[in-house]
Amino acid sequence: MELIDSVAPHQRSKISIHWAMRQVITALIPAILASIILFREKALFLILNCSLSCLLTEEIILRIRRKPSQVKNCSAVLTGILLALVLPPSTKWYAATLGSVFAIFIGKQVFGGLGQNIFNPALIGRAFLVAAYPKMMTTWISPFTLDAITKATPLALRKFDQILTPLKDLFIGTVPGSLGETSALALIIGGIYLLIRKVIDWRIPLTLLLTTVIISSIFYFIQPLNGSPLFHIFSGGLLLGAFFMATDPVTTPVTKKGRYIFGVGCGILIMIIRYFSGLPEGVMYSIIFMNALVPLINRYTIPKPFGYER
Amino acid sequence: MIRVEEYKLPQHDLPSEKFLHPKKVYLPLSQHIGKPSKELVSLGNLVDEGELIAKPEGKVSSSLHAPKKGKVVAIEYFPHPVLKRYKGITIECQEEEKKYFRTKDPSLLDKEKILQIIESAGIVGMGGAGFPTHIKLNPPKKIDTLIINGCECEPYLACDYRLMVENTQGVFGGVEIICKILQPKRVFFCIEENKPEAIKRFNSSISIKKYDLPSPQIVVLKSCYPQGGEKQLIYKVTKRKVPSGGLPFDVGCLVQNVATCFSIYQAVYYSKPLIERLVTFAGDSLFNPKNIWVKVGTLISELFEQGILQFKKELRKVILGGPMMGIALDSLDYPILKTTTGVLFLSQDRIDQEPEQECIRCARCVDVCPMGLLPLEFVKRVKRGEFEKLDEVFIKDCIECGCCSWGCPAKIPIVHYIKVGKLYGTHR
Repeated sequence: MELIDSVAPHQRSKISIHWAMRQVITALIPAILASIILFREKALFLILNCSLSCLLTEEIILRIRRKPSQVKNCSAVLTGILLALVLPPSTKWYAATLGSVFAIFIGKQVFGGLGQNIFNPALIGRAFLVAAYPKMMTTWISPFTLDAITKATPLALRKFDQILTPLKDLFIGTVPGSLGETSALALIIGGIYLLIRKVIDWRIPLTLLLTTVIISSIFYFIQPLNGSPLFHIFSGGLLLGAFFMATDPVTTPVTKKGRYIFGVGCGILIMIIRYFSGLPEGVMYSIIFMNALVPLINRYTIPKPFGYER
Repeated sequence: MIRVEEYKLPQHDLPSEKFLHPKKVYLPLSQHIGKPSKELVSLGNLVDEGELIAKPEGKVSSSLHAPKKGKVVAIEYFPHPVLKRYKGITIECQEEEKKYFRTKDPSLLDKEKILQIIESAGIVGMGGAGFPTHIKLNPPKKIDTLIINGCECEPYLACDYRLMVENTQGVFGGVEIICKILQPKRVFFCIEENKPEAIKRFNSSISIKKYDLPSPQIVVLKSCYPQGGEKQLIYKVTKRKVPSGGLPFDVGCLVQNVATCFSIYQAVYYSKPLIERLVTFAGDSLFNPKNIWVKVGTLISELFEQGILQFKKELRKVILGGPMMGIALDSLDYPILKTTTGVLFLSQDRIDQEPEQECIRCARCVDVCPMGLLPLEFVKRVKRGEFEKLDEVFIKDCIECGCCSWGCPAKIPIVHYIKVGKLYGTHR
C-alpha cells in the first residue's frame, strides 16, 4: 500500500484556471450572439478567425519554447474572442489574423506566457491594428444592412457632430461599432453572470463604472450635449472593458486597495479621452495605461495585515 | 475566510464508541509545545494506569502518564507523526481497567492547587497545538474574557461536537474550574451553527444556572474556515485584534478548546490524568467512520487489527488532524497523541493531484486570507529565492491555515512555499 504524501491543505476547491477562463467565455456568449445577430457572417468569421489564430500562435510558440500545451486552459481562445469583439465588423481577415498573432506573441509570450504579461493581450492586438491599419480600424458599418456605407459610432457622433444616439439603440446594440461592444444588454448579462459566479471581483468594474457615472454627470449637468451618464456607459467599449478587460486577473492589481485605484484610474482616463482628446473613445488606451501602472500600484498598496492596524 | 466542503457525516451524528484495551501503547516524549518530557521509568518496569512515567523538563513542558497498566518494553526512537522520529516509551498493556472515583471537591481548592493538579495531569491544548495548559492558565496579564472554542471548523472532524453533546456536564465543569482560576468578567461559548444539538445542550446548561460562570453566553457562528483559529475567533467575538507577534492575553482574552476543558474536569474531579481522548476516524476509505475514545499512544493500525475500523475503498492517503492543516502519514503505525483530533482515511476520489501551474495573479488567495496577507507574493519571492524580501510582505504573520492553497485555481501549494520561506528566512 503506497500512501500519498503531500503538504496541507489536503482538500481544495474545484476552481481551476480553465474553469475561470471557460466561465468568462460563457459570460461572453450573449455578446457573441448579439454580434452575430447584428453583423451576421462578418462577426462569425472574425470571431473564428481570431480565436483560432490566437490558439495556433500560442501553441506554436509554446512548442518552440518547449513548454506544455495550454489548449486546456482556453486562455488564448479567450484572448482571440475578446480581440474579435473589439474589432470593427469590416476588418479584413488578414488584419484580424495579424492582430491575433501580435496579441499572443508580443502581448503575451514575449513576457513569458500565461500570468507574466503586463498588458491585456487582446487590447495590445487592437492597439497594433489601430497603428497598422488606421483607416480600416475607424471604418464602421451599420448593423443588419452591412452595406459599405461608412457610418460614425455614437461616440464619434457625439464628439464631432453633437448628435446623441437614443439610449434604446445603445442598450440593444443597433448602432455602428465594434463587434461585441454595441449591445449593452448582452454585456450586462455577461457581467452579472461573472459577478454572481464570483469569477471576477466586483471592485474594479464597480469603481470604474461609478467613476464614469460621476464624471459624466458633472459634464452632463454643465452641458446636456456632453451626453448623459447612461449614454456614456452604454456606448463604446466601456461595458466590455469594465467587465471583461479591466478584470483580467493577470494585468490588474492583486491588492484590494489597488483594485479600487485601478478602477477609478481607468474611469478617469476614459472620460478625459472622451471629452478632451482628439479621439472619440478611450477605453483601450485607458486600460493599457493602467496596466502599465499595476506593478507600482501593487507595491504601494501592500495591506497592513490583521493585528497591525490600530 | 472560506466555506469548505464539510464531510462531517456520518461520524457527526453517531454516538461515540470506546476502545480502551490496546495491546501496546507508544508514547513519544514530545506531544506538546516546549521541551520534551524526561522519562522516569526504565526497561522492564511495571507501571500502573495513570502512573507518571515522564516528568516535565524546563519551564514549558508537560508530564506523561501510563495510559494502561503494563510493562515498559522499550524506550527508543520510533515514528512520530510530527517530528518524523522521536524518543518514546512503549508499554505492553494488560487488560485490567482502572476505575476512577470522584475524589476532590474543587470548591475547597485554591487557584495554585488547581493549577498544580492540571500540571501534574499532563494536560495540554487538545485542539491541535498542544501548549501546556497550566502555563496558558497562568497568564502574565489579567484576562477579562474567556472564550470556549467549540467551533471545530475543519472538515470531517466531529470529536469536539460529540464531546459537547455527550459530556456537556464535564465540559461545563471544566469551564467552571477555569473561571475559578482566571476570574474573567465573561465567558463566551463559541459553536458553529452546524452543531445544533451542542447549541441546545449548552443553552440549557446555562439556563439552569447550575454552574458558577460569570455572564456566560453562547455565540452561534456561521460555519466557515478558519473560524476556530485563535485570533480569528477572538476578533469575531470581541472585535479585539491580537497584535502581530502577540498572544491572546495581550487583549485580555484566553481561548480554550472544549476537549481541554473536559480533561481539566477529569483531572480535578476524578484525579484522572490526560491518558485518553476522543478522536474522529473518518474519510471515504473507511467503512465505518466514527468517534472513538482511545488511549493516548494507541497505534492507528491496532484499531484495524482489532476490527474496530474497516476499510471500504482503497486507501491512498492518511491524514493526522483535519484536511486543512493536518499531516499526511506514510503508514498506519503512528500513535494517537494528546493533540490528535482525528485521523482521516481518504481514497483516490477525495485526493486532488492536479499539477501546479503558473500563477495567474487572480488574487483569490488575497481575498480569502484571514490575516489580510498577499500569499501570491510569498510564492513569487520564494521561487525567486528572495528570502530577504519576505518580511516586507509580513510572512511571519501567516498562520498556515491553508485557505490560499484551497482556493488557488493554479493549484499552487502556497502553504508549502510559505513554510519553505519561513524556514529559509529564519536561517538566513
